Amino acid sequence: MTATSAQTITAPARARTAADSATIRRPQGFQHGGWFVAPFLLLFALFVIWPLLRGVWLSFTDANISGEGARFIGLDNYREALKDPLMWDSLGHSAFFTLMVVPCITVLAFLLAMLAHHIERGKWLWRLCFFAPFLLPSTVAANLWQWLFNPGTGMINYVFGIETPWLTDKSYAMLAIVIQTLWWTVGFSFLLYLAALQGIPGHLYEAAKLDGANAWHRMVHITLPMLRNITGLVVALQILASLQVFDQAVVMMDFLPGPEGSTRTFVQFTLEEGFTSYRVGYASAISVIFFVIIAAVALARMWLLRNREESAR
Amino acid sequence: MTTAVPVKSRKPWTPSQIILTLLGTAVSAAFLAPFAWALFTSLKSETEAVEVPPHWLPEVWTGQAWQALFETGNITNWFVNSVAVSVCVTSVVLLVSALAGYGFARTEFRGKKPLMGLVMAGLMISPAVLGVPLFTTVQQMGMVDTYWGMILPQCAPAAMVYILYKFFQGIPRELEEAAFIDGAGRWRVFFTIVLPLSRPSLAAVGIFTFIASWNNFLWPYMVTNNPDLMTMPNGIATVMNSYGIQWAQLMAGGLMAGLPLIIVFVFFQRQIVAGVAHTGLAGQ
Amino acid sequence: MGRPDLNRRQLLGGLGGLFVASSFGFAALGTGADALATGADTRVRYWNLFSGGDGSNMIAMLDAFRKAHPDIAVKDSTLQWGSPFYTKLAMAAAGNRAPDLGVMHLGRVTGFSPGRFLDPWDVDLLAEYGVREADFNPALWKRAVIDGKLYALPLDIHVQLCFYRKDVLKKAGLLGDDGRMVPVTSPDEWFDVLKQAKRATKKGLQTIGLWVNDQNFQWWFFVAFYTQLGGTWFNAANTEVTFDTGKATQVLEFLRRHITDGYADPGFAGAAGAEQFLNGSPFVWEGNWSVPVFSGAKLDYGATPLPPVFGKPATHAESHAFVLPHQSDRGGPADEAAHRLAAYVVRHARQWAAGGHIPAYTPTLSTAAYKALNPQSEYVSAMDHQATEPKVWFAGSTGILAQRVGPIVVASTLGSAKPETAARRMKSTLTQLLAMKNPMDGRTAAQGGAAA
Repeated sequence: MTATSAQTITAPARARTAADSATIRRPQGFQHGGWFVAPFLLLFALFVIWPLLRGVWLSFTDANISGEGARFIGLDNYREALKDPLMWDSLGHSAFFTLMVVPCITVLAFLLAMLAHHIERGKWLWRLCFFAPFLLPSTVAANLWQWLFNPGTGMINYVFGIETPWLTDKSYAMLAIVIQTLWWTVGFSFLLYLAALQGIPGHLYEAAKLDGANAWHRMVHITLPMLRNITGLVVALQILASLQVFDQAVVMMDFLPGPEGSTRTFVQFTLEEGFTSYRVGYASAISVIFFVIIAAVALARMWLLRNREESAR
Repeated sequence: MTTAVPVKSRKPWTPSQIILTLLGTAVSAAFLAPFAWALFTSLKSETEAVEVPPHWLPEVWTGQAWQALFETGNITNWFVNSVAVSVCVTSVVLLVSALAGYGFARTEFRGKKPLMGLVMAGLMISPAVLGVPLFTTVQQMGMVDTYWGMILPQCAPAAMVYILYKFFQGIPRELEEAAFIDGAGRWRVFFTIVLPLSRPSLAAVGIFTFIASWNNFLWPYMVTNNPDLMTMPNGIATVMNSYGIQWAQLMAGGLMAGLPLIIVFVFFQRQIVAGVAHTGLAGQ
Repeated sequence: MGRPDLNRRQLLGGLGGLFVASSFGFAALGTGADALATGADTRVRYWNLFSGGDGSNMIAMLDAFRKAHPDIAVKDSTLQWGSPFYTKLAMAAAGNRAPDLGVMHLGRVTGFSPGRFLDPWDVDLLAEYGVREADFNPALWKRAVIDGKLYALPLDIHVQLCFYRKDVLKKAGLLGDDGRMVPVTSPDEWFDVLKQAKRATKKGLQTIGLWVNDQNFQWWFFVAFYTQLGGTWFNAANTEVTFDTGKATQVLEFLRRHITDGYADPGFAGAAGAEQFLNGSPFVWEGNWSVPVFSGAKLDYGATPLPPVFGKPATHAESHAFVLPHQSDRGGPADEAAHRLAAYVVRHARQWAAGGHIPAYTPTLSTAAYKALNPQSEYVSAMDHQATEPKVWFAGSTGILAQRVGPIVVASTLGSAKPETAARRMKSTLTQLLAMKNPMDGRTAAQGGAAA
């Protein structure tokens, strides 16, 4: 594998084992590796990095939506945000939503996957049924449930013979959004679980059967431990997605913050401050706070993963 | 992904299978019931739709809601916009993130490590988190209410780069080396050897991106307010919703926005399932 | 796996084709709008905010204008109401890319930095095109004037109305000889009406729908009844809150009583109130924009301004108004054409009334054609007793004021806060807002001077 034909090759031949970690070639001109990453990095810089930096800068100003005449005002926005009850309320709503959705979706996805995995006939049908809602646009799924929860004409109350004011009472409104979210998004986690279940080697179960383990034991001692990684993943993805909840909440509440403001999510709060109150500087400050929270969750997960890997060694 | 081969040799109906199947049927019915309700609602007249108490089947079947949808609204515009935006986003994302994934996995250049770290940090940023500054940026570029304003900000998904990066790392180097010996350049190797090998991964990324983009609401909502430019999710949620109680039309529009993906799913189920599972699992 | 592969290739091929096709589409769209070739001398770019029924009415009026003035090409772009619109308008004005003509809610004009983002109307030019101050309700016209200049040309007022079903009210003996609802002049009379109407109502339906959980509607109703009591918000200099918690409590108790006496069911809050109305519920308080919906459903119904239960009639009114977004070089033929177009639409607003709105141009209201419109002609008196939000930067349709104070009204109506407590909270919120700086110019309401 001592490649010599191309003039760009500068690196000497190496042992094959080193190939994974090190470079073989240091090409120049158009062969340079930078060209491969350049298009992505350009988009990434324009639409991710630059807005992030801009957001940080704006958060120290009193910028309004016209983009004119912003003044540097130091930490005033952050000081105001930390004292703003609306911010804490909306943060609380998003956190509450997350606390409700994540455990429910994880358990439900697991149960559905077990069900679909163990029924021998018509696997494609179960998969289709449980996954189909995920394919709906968020706003369509939200409109559909707004209609299902609608007082008087709504099927939910009719089928269950109840008269719950789902969307109009602050003690039910968030719950209604949680139920809608379960139906709409459980399919994704379900598929992940299903894939993981199908990846468990069959011989493990065979061996356990030979040892006389019953179905319950097989689940507790083989299935659940084998699904640990995927559960970690499902939980992490769901936490990150749930904290950013916006679409279904605003659509189900007709773009208002719900009864007595009880479903105003954090994202909604940022947009209200930015676009309704015209306060781009302040909205940027709360966005940055939100970014820090999201980053903290993501980093916590990475840290947990590394710890576990280390302890597994 | 193991394939559920429709084997003709039937497995026996054990009691546990009967119970499980019944349970599965019941749960599936619960999952599908909202779709049925939407469909039946869309086939009622607007007044019958809001009758109390509700009833499942229309007493008078009518296509008026569907007809009104096509006659009065801009739903066909929205549909075309959705297709155009999703196809563009998917194409650009596939191209750009495949190149970048390969670049990070298999080439060497100064500053690669920190740049990769930066991309990883990008995993935490979305329009939901940085909506307002992202909007003002796009506004400054003069791209509000344009296709480009809708498309380009969706085209830098760090996650997809990461997934393809992981995949490219797993391709045996020998395959490339052989081509280099024959004098092929990086680009030829990439297009003739690496890309064909990664078709399943690319399909996964493509499918996932398409679904995400077709269903994306928040960003198009922020960046467009010209109804002619809206995508399906946005148009239905904002324009249609602003005209009050027209549930039959709203359900018809929702079905029209949702059904294409579901029909595609029925036909390409295996690939889509593999795609979603693959992109999801890659995050492990 | 041979076949799926083939399928996938077909799929990708198809997608590729679509991609190519759509890029051509872009190329066409990108240039299409501006390259719109026309033989007309003058082009007016107009940001129109109306879709649905209002949209087709507006387009019909624009078409009529085009026919009458073939020398003027109207390039209208329809946009969606809502916060992104105001953002877009502000940034276009700041970036000097604003259209020649736009539409706004009148209450939002004060907060929209008139003078910086909006240009004043040339009143003489308007008069030349047939629109004079005398043709408008004086209070409405005054709301559009800031620092002595006219910044908005009102097209309509839109109000919340008391819709009633004639069939049910007839059964309850609440219909007068003229076929209209009997007049009501005090809270007790009003609740008597509700009581009798309730007896004539089908089981399972509420008596009245009044959006008890909606911060905008509840706030609008509050403004109406608080104005009926003669309540005020701030002193003339906008330095002090003159909000009267006693009167506010009275209004809040009145709103709350609809629920405690069992006439409004919180389970049928929101848009469900209109659905109940369609099903036979006798009353609903709704925006006048529901007129096309109810008329389309062929109901036998009427609509009056909100009942004057506190003596003096007053109904909350907001207004669609034409504005001139700021252009540094405003003037010239396009500007004149914008004046001409706005004046034309304002003067020919009979069609606009089909959407339930009350035309602002008062000569329209006395025409026979308008008087023949039902129920529009029944609630036209709302023009004479508009209750409006205070004229400060944070007011206006779905603006900060409604966003902050509306939820307090809802909390009281739904019973999670006592009316007195809610009234006090409203007052302290108003105090906070008064001290708040307008993000557009960094000045408080008092410093703004805009209201003067």
